[in-house]
Amino acid sequence: MATFELYRRSTIGMCLTETLDEMVQSGTLTPELAIQVLVQFDKSMTEALETQVKSKVSVKGHLHTYRFCDNVWTFILQDASFKNEECQEHVGRVKIVACDSKLLSQ
Amino acid sequence: MATSATSMVYIRVIEDVISKVRDEFVNNGPGESVLNELQGIWEMKMIQAGVVCGPIDRSSAPKQPAPGGPITPVHDLNVPYEGTEEYETPTAEILFPPTPLQTPIQTPLPGSTPLPGSTPLPGSTPLPGSTPLPGSTPMTGSTDSSMYNIPTGSSDYPTPANDSGGSTTEAKGGNGRPSSYMPPPPSPWMNPRAPLSVDVNVAYVEGRDEADRGTSHQPLTQDFFMMSSGKRKREDFPAQYHNGGYNIPQQDGAGDATSEIFQLELSQGSDFPDRHDTSTTANREILAHLARSSMKIPQLDGPIPDPYDDVLSTPNIYNYQGVVNEDYNIVNTPAPNDLQASTPAVVTQNEAVEDDDDEPLNENDDDDLDDVDQGEELNTQHLVLAQFDKVTRTKSRWKCALKDGIMHINNKDILFNKATGEFDF
Repeated sequence: MATFELYRRSTIGMCLTETLDEMVQSGTLTPELAIQVLVQFDKSMTEALETQVKSKVSVKGHLHTYRFCDNVWTFILQDASFKNEECQEHVGRVKIVACDSKLLSQ
Repeated sequence: MATSATSMVYIRVIEDVISKVRDEFVNNGPGESVLNELQGIWEMKMIQAGVVCGPIDRSSAPKQPAPGGPITPVHDLNVPYEGTEEYETPTAEILFPPTPLQTPIQTPLPGSTPLPGSTPLPGSTPLPGSTPLPGSTPMTGSTDSSMYNIPTGSSDYPTPANDSGGSTTEAKGGNGRPSSYMPPPPSPWMNPRAPLSVDVNVAYVEGRDEADRGTSHQPLTQDFFMMSSGKRKREDFPAQYHNGGYNIPQQDGAGDATSEIFQLELSQGSDFPDRHDTSTTANREILAHLARSSMKIPQLDGPIPDPYDDVLSTPNIYNYQGVVNEDYNIVNTPAPNDLQASTPAVVTQNEAVEDDDDEPLNENDDDDLDDVDQGEELNTQHLVLAQFDKVTRTKSRWKCALKDGIMHINNKDILFNKATGEFDF
């Protein structure tokens, strides 16, 4: 199953990465095992987003920068507003990083 | 700020990851205790980040093993994590009585049943309080061997339990440390991670780098060949003396002309005191080295330049001049160095120049990118990670369809299954 390492940048992914770093540095974990955990996280996070999340969000804003490199879209929005069923958030500047969903199905 | 839905998903992801790497930990790895430690630290960080609600975490965690886990265990998790990271806690274990901790551990034990491993150990795993145990046990052993022995040895159940108690106590003892870390972290945790987040895209960045390298190499070499004969080299060289390119020629020539060079240096040395400029003397020494290298190099290079004659007619001339100019080196170091520097470059300079030019170019590029990226990331603590189904543009109007995303906006983590974006550029 193909996975993205994309989600490692999320809060949960960063928490895991930090934890693994600490444990590897202390000698509690081998780096190889830590990587296995990260790969498993990639899978679990992707699967969870597919199966457990149903909410829908709409985003509007001024596109300050767009970039498409190595099948990754990067948008930097200004004055962006995010709306979902529960709430609406407004931010002055937000970065959107998106991988090609078709790569996962391959 | 943790959205309950997000928190639930995160907790499930943690549990899913932990359960799916358990075999690896138990069979080939450091053992289940370390896995519990991992889970404990991970969850603690999540709580500190405010992404997971502490109470929810407990409720969910107990759900798998057994209902009704005490709230206190969560705090235990935090503590053990600190304790485990701190090394050589064993003394603390001995000092602190295990009994007080044992009681909390016992409650978790019922939950332990889900774990395939020995009953006492598994109990520890579901409960956060157990996490300290693994860390403590490995820590007691100064080296890795101790770690492996502890997890593998199932027969040692009593000892781990004791250790666990000790570890928790340790954690208590170490509370001073964790407490100091604890209060500040929540906000700090978030901020520092944002910059760190750069690492996550490693694969994507690497791909970029590789692409750049691949493309850059050929053009650069060609350019340098062109430049080797150009005047520009001479100008550049003085500034580049310190660069590694010259070191190579020195090494090559060291065996050849040392005696002559030393004589030259001596004569130069006599001149130096007259001027009394230490900096100039230093420079001259460097120049002298260069002179050596240049002197040596032309000799070695003599045969080599011939093949280049077709391409570059000048190098030979420079070589001869270089030999003649050696005398000038003694008197006027800078000028001859320039000339000579250009001559040796024919062979070695190509490499040297490449390196020199590569570094500034790459550095500049990297710096620019880094500055931009860092600036962006520093300025944009709001981040959306997702997959795109489709991105379209009509004139300045962009539309994109995203799915399976994690948004971190206004210190809130929001997950979405689908997202539509409409941007004007």
